[in-house]
Amino acid sequence: MNIDNENKQILQMRNVSKIYKGKGSLFRSSGKDVIALNRISLDIYKGEIFGLVGESGSGKTTAGRLIVSLEETTSGRIFLDSREVTALKGRELKAFRRKVQMIFQDPYQSLNPQRSVYDTVSEPLKIHRMGKASDRKDRVREALKAVGLSPPDDFLFRYPHRLSGGQRQRVAIARAMVLNPEFVIADEPTSMLDASISAQIFNILLTMRNRLGVTQMFITHSLAAARYLCDRIAVIYRGNLMELGPAEEVIKNPKHPYTQALIDAVPKFGHSKDARRYGTLLSKDHEVREDKGCIFYPRCAVADHNTCPRREPGLSQIGIDHWVACFRQGSKESGLTPFTYGLAEGR
Amino acid sequence: MPLLEVDNISIGYHTRNGYLKAVEGVSFVLEEGQSLGLVGESGCGKTTIGMALMGLLPPNGSVSTGRILLEGKNILVMSDEEKRRIRWRKMAMIFQAAMNALNPVQRVGNQIAEAILVHNPSLEKEAALSQVEGLFDLVGIPRERLTDYPHQYSGGMKQRAVIAMALACHPKVIIADEPTTALDVIVQDQILEEVRALQREFNIGIIFISHDISIVADMCHEIGVMYAGQLVEFGPWRTVFESPAHPYTKALLSSFPTLTGKKSDLVPIPGETPNLINPPAGCRFCDRCPEAQAFCKTTPSQWVDIGSGHKALCCRS
Repeated sequence: MNIDNENKQILQMRNVSKIYKGKGSLFRSSGKDVIALNRISLDIYKGEIFGLVGESGSGKTTAGRLIVSLEETTSGRIFLDSREVTALKGRELKAFRRKVQMIFQDPYQSLNPQRSVYDTVSEPLKIHRMGKASDRKDRVREALKAVGLSPPDDFLFRYPHRLSGGQRQRVAIARAMVLNPEFVIADEPTSMLDASISAQIFNILLTMRNRLGVTQMFITHSLAAARYLCDRIAVIYRGNLMELGPAEEVIKNPKHPYTQALIDAVPKFGHSKDARRYGTLLSKDHEVREDKGCIFYPRCAVADHNTCPRREPGLSQIGIDHWVACFRQGSKESGLTPFTYGLAEGR
Repeated sequence: MPLLEVDNISIGYHTRNGYLKAVEGVSFVLEEGQSLGLVGESGCGKTTIGMALMGLLPPNGSVSTGRILLEGKNILVMSDEEKRRIRWRKMAMIFQAAMNALNPVQRVGNQIAEAILVHNPSLEKEAALSQVEGLFDLVGIPRERLTDYPHQYSGGMKQRAVIAMALACHPKVIIADEPTTALDVIVQDQILEEVRALQREFNIGIIFISHDISIVADMCHEIGVMYAGQLVEFGPWRTVFESPAHPYTKALLSSFPTLTGKKSDLVPIPGETPNLINPPAGCRFCDRCPEAQAFCKTTPSQWVDIGSGHKALCCRS
């Protein structure tokens, strides 16, 4: 791990929420609001690979899109290198877009079928006016080599239809890397790919970090992939941060009942019946009368029926860099404290 | 007599670029109440086998050689009428994309009742609907959701409805083609648990098709690993995963991240799968194989019996 001891934050999210307003339709005046992210606060340190793990609809992709400012936050603030992302305009915004890159889930959709590999990978250089036209081909070659598309000249003038899924995703990574970004968000980059090809992509992401020190946020539904790639992981459930800590620690020693339920559900190369389980998931949901308790309460088998349905648990620290949002962990008092780690609010 | 025997089957597709040999020389046997996993990456032919078993190959695809024996009868030589009778009643399929397997403009309960009625024309509609209620209980969908449309169901519930439909005519064999691929891990776990329980209760033989070796390891008694249209390794699940014999199985296992055990480096498999219009003369994996010898390129690989039902299609195992 290349994290230096200062644990310098490159990215900070402070109480970030995203609410999608319910749309009215022809027959209904207004729909229900969807809380995609609910007051998420976290830090990402320079040089680490940070995993954001959650199921579909958990808000993990929304978080990525907010960070690269493809969407606007409803409330809360996001800082990159201590500058507020949402306040960036003009030249600063352009510089930000050079420093932060995103790799999308589906390489069959994220590449323009009418553009050759060279067009696709060199376009960011043109937009940001980097290098002379004559140098660009060399930079593109370098980027292709770095993602294992070699010899690069074999690929420069191919179109996406002549590339396999794994090769396409590598082109997408090359496009992100050609600008030498500081921070890359990879949103489920392997969910469309076979296992043997996924492993290639994982290893490219690891090399990017180990050789070039590129900080990454890896968005995934797979705890096993997160374990392999990430230094720290955050588990989110329906827009709420449930647990945060060193990857190996969270997986070996999960503290949140939801994380435990996730780990229970992962197939473990053996007939599941033999495996020891945490058993924190209810087979039938609890009824909820009020809408203000822990988001996991309705499905939680170990809930406290007095506290959990009535109050929202904050993150509390339970180990070195290990945080959990659950009243059943640590002291109840600490569960009441709002988010406290990292930098102070409102800087 | 085994429940289902696939004997040296080859399947091909006529394509614009030539005849594509999607499956070649695959044989296996499924016994009652057992599950057999077919695992492999995209394009290895696993779904083609499932479709051939159901007689649902697309018009450009056909079985060129081999036999499929269901309770001793070769279904490949049956008339369409005979095939129609065994489909769903003896052998049913759970499809890959549950969201597309249901008719969006018909209530879920009615759809399943209709499937029952087609195969039992003497039955009253009310009787069929009450059977559907029973099926919903089995797969864990509340009865009041019988009159909902598919779009009102969550992904997991649609998958349960598709399983209910597969069970509707009490089949002896179910072919489950990636039944949980689109689902979240918690829902996947619940559905797989359901499938296991139903299998035990009705003594169904299941062919479980998946690209995910961890699911197959959890679900199946026996595993067949497929690569480029061929079965390359076959055996009891524990043996195949604990002492894999074929270099492809070994490579597949070491490219797969796991939650348990030591965190070791993932080793991707270099290269690409061969073109199946002109497959290589020798072993199909030899270009990507770390253990390949000169003769692997030229000699077709042979089955090697390793013992206790474990075998591999590799001269070096």
